[in-house]
Amino acid sequence: MFALARRLTGEHGLAEEALQDTFVQVWTQSHRFKPQRGSARAWLYSLLRNRIISLHRQAHGHRFEPLPDQDWPDPGPSPEQCSYAESQRLAMIECLRRLQGDRRSPILMAFYHGLSYEQIADRLAVPLGTIKSRIRAGLSRLQECLRL
Amino acid sequence: MIPDDPHDQQLLIAEYVLGLCRGEQNDEVERWLERDPDAAAMARQWREHWVAAVELLDPERVPARIWREIRRRTGNDEPWWRRGWGSAPLWRSVSAALAVTVLVLALVPAGPAPVTYTVVLQAPGEAAKPGWRITVSADGDLNLTPLVESRYQPDRSVQFWTLADPAQGPRSLGLIQPGHSITIPASRIGDVQPGQLFELTLEPRGGSPASRPTGPVLFIGRAVEI
Repeated sequence: MFALARRLTGEHGLAEEALQDTFVQVWTQSHRFKPQRGSARAWLYSLLRNRIISLHRQAHGHRFEPLPDQDWPDPGPSPEQCSYAESQRLAMIECLRRLQGDRRSPILMAFYHGLSYEQIADRLAVPLGTIKSRIRAGLSRLQECLRL
Repeated sequence: MIPDDPHDQQLLIAEYVLGLCRGEQNDEVERWLERDPDAAAMARQWREHWVAAVELLDPERVPARIWREIRRRTGNDEPWWRRGWGSAPLWRSVSAALAVTVLVLALVPAGPAPVTYTVVLQAPGEAAKPGWRITVSADGDLNLTPLVESRYQPDRSVQFWTLADPAQGPRSLGLIQPGHSITIPASRIGDVQPGQLFELTLEPRGGSPASRPTGPVLFIGRAVEI
């Protein structure tokens, strides 16, 4: 979670603050976690991302760490492919790997950096409409690939 | 506004999970997910898939002062002696605990080494149903403990595996008896790494005929450093 917080904020102090806020939220709002709605890990990550996205609205000009975009690991066959949960995990990595770079990058900027459409367009110096088209096309391909 | 077209709806959910819906649009999607179980299920699937992308990042250790601050903010940092300094039951408990500690120290040459890794093995696709717990001590010994009762056909065996390095493939840690704890010495486990995979599979009696799992995965999990 701390690694994700550092990616999302690009700044150590903000990452620590977001992590603290998230765990305090977990403590005070644990009743809101419903196992039937997803795993605890997914819940924790979404709390953290939401917290940081809201911090982004308050602060500007962060330096962001590079995306894990250039060298996506090849999941390869392994025994965990027997497992549904693990095959889900590997499927996401494989589907992201298959995406064209100009679609994958803005999607990963949204995920790892918590940026909005406008912020991504600004950082990539690409028109807003183009970025929206690329992200939506990329998400459609991901959805097909994941068979959602 | 929530679109009517199913494809557009699915896309909107994907954008929402990715954090691309802001302000009023975000609030509107959240209200929609509250009332539409199909939409909520789709959002859940996206979130679960994105967990994989988080786990690509190298883990980073959280500074101890952050945990202290979290404990302070959640009201869990009050020292025990301030909670009940004059309490007779507290002192009786402390005295009893000390007596037990002295006895244990006197009778046992050395206590168990502290735990360095833990793994919760869960049934595939059942994130909220832990089946076994693994602890790895500082000495490297691994203890596998059942958390649920399970029975299988008599012509089947449950085999324990680990995968430390995908390039080398899985390694069998032997057959285990359902419902019974087992301790495996460090010499057979080797060095455990954060994220190392452990799993139990159902194999023909006597174990897998190959050098890898051949049957269905019963429980699976990854090592977490403590």
